[in-house]
Amino acid sequence: MRKYWQLFLLSWQNGLVYRLSLLLWRLRQFLSTVMAMTIWTVVFTSQQTAFGYSQAQMITYIFTISILQSLVLASVLNGLSGEVYSGALSKELVKPLNLFAYLGIQDVADKAKNFIFVLIESALIFMIFKPELVLPNLTITIIFLVWLLGGMLLNFWISLLFGAIGFWSPQSWGPRFLFFMMVDFTAGKLFPLDILPQAVRAIVALTPFPYLSYYQTQLVLGRLDTAGVIQHSFILLLWVVVSGCCCIWLWKRGLQDYSAAGQ
Amino acid sequence: MSIKTYYKVWKILALNALQEAFVNRATNVLFMVGKAMRLVMTVAFLLLIRGNVQTFAGYSTDQLVIFFLMYQILDVSSQVLFRGVYLFSNLIKSGEFDFYLSKPINPLFRALTGLPDINDALFLVPNMVLAGYLLSTLSVHITITSAVLFFILCMNSFLMITALHIFILAVGILITEVDGMVWLYRDLTRLGQFPITMYAEPLRLALFFVVPIGFMLTIPAQVLSNLVPTYSVAFTLTVGILFFLLSLRTWSFAVKRYSSASS
Repeated sequence: MRKYWQLFLLSWQNGLVYRLSLLLWRLRQFLSTVMAMTIWTVVFTSQQTAFGYSQAQMITYIFTISILQSLVLASVLNGLSGEVYSGALSKELVKPLNLFAYLGIQDVADKAKNFIFVLIESALIFMIFKPELVLPNLTITIIFLVWLLGGMLLNFWISLLFGAIGFWSPQSWGPRFLFFMMVDFTAGKLFPLDILPQAVRAIVALTPFPYLSYYQTQLVLGRLDTAGVIQHSFILLLWVVVSGCCCIWLWKRGLQDYSAAGQ
Repeated sequence: MSIKTYYKVWKILALNALQEAFVNRATNVLFMVGKAMRLVMTVAFLLLIRGNVQTFAGYSTDQLVIFFLMYQILDVSSQVLFRGVYLFSNLIKSGEFDFYLSKPINPLFRALTGLPDINDALFLVPNMVLAGYLLSTLSVHITITSAVLFFILCMNSFLMITALHIFILAVGILITEVDGMVWLYRDLTRLGQFPITMYAEPLRLALFFVVPIGFMLTIPAQVLSNLVPTYSVAFTLTVGILFFLLSLRTWSFAVKRYSSASS
């Protein structure tokens, strides 16, 4: 266990090496939140509700999605397929560590770093806009934390699935870009998915993407009834298990074919 | 070196990029699908705003569409020409920039336009069709004077976009890192999808006088919509020219400090 803790500390320090890049990345996140907050504040100056959302609900949505994007969707594993294809993965394979645990801890360290920044950014946004927020009760908060973990795990498996492309092809950025667009579509900072027509929502609900962030925001906003909470809990669990099984199977196959050709 | 020679060089580079795009056909198709999805998503959002909101920060929703189209066309056009800037840090880190300096072609020209983006060149066509369609549905009074001034301001905007890319290249030489800067630039211009005048101070002032997104996107859209621009056309043109000259001075300053450390 101690070696994994050391690994966490190393990954944490590693994430702070390129401080200017980190600062610019966080500034970008901050600006996108400012943009979304400004747009909706402007919209609500002339009306009480828009698309079935009150101002407090919409602002809470943007706040929640900002936190979720930093905790669930941000990942250090975006370049994993490149490491696999180039053969750089070899140096991780020879270490006395479980590969998935190794990658998982790197991801957790990155999310911990993001979490600190998102707290600072949220405080700044709060001071600038002084918004009224919808706060969930204790039960909803506990379910939200469980769904947050579920979303993080689901994104981890999906990141590894994209990483596995590197076993067979150097071209992983096309599918990954499409994935980012899908996630942006289903849980974008600009607007919630449910302002779009019902037909679009019905199609998106068949995919795992809204389970990364969207349903978590709906839970916080109290827009899901008890049956909905139970139903989405099971579906989220199902996606985590299915994507996890696919990932383990695919990595086993990939490692059999892996020849570290670039090394 | 004549303009004809530069055009010939650019044509060769563009053909190389085209051939490369055909090698990675599947990846490029996925990129196109992703870009189309993002465009559809933003247009859907705009149309929803148009259908549900009467005025937006003092602008009609039709005028809002003009702001968006201004951003969309300029953003895609700049990516078609200046995609090479995104990979410039690799040239600096590897020392490959030495080869640019030793050739009888202006190194700034090569660094700026050396890698035209074929995906975005293709994507410009549906963008223009969409822009034409959306413009035909708007009830905005466009006069010959406003159209001519708009055209001149668009040229000025392109000058400023070029200047911003030159600044990024100069920073790349000085600190060997452009990724964060270039994505920050993209996110800052994204703020210009909506009128910059809607943002609170000091962000609004910064978006006019630090990174002149307001002069690039908001002023031309205001002029085309026959609105009184936030700053006069003459002042906007002066800012554009001065900003471009400043970028060239910065580039010269940076090139003199290029150490060719990796070669």
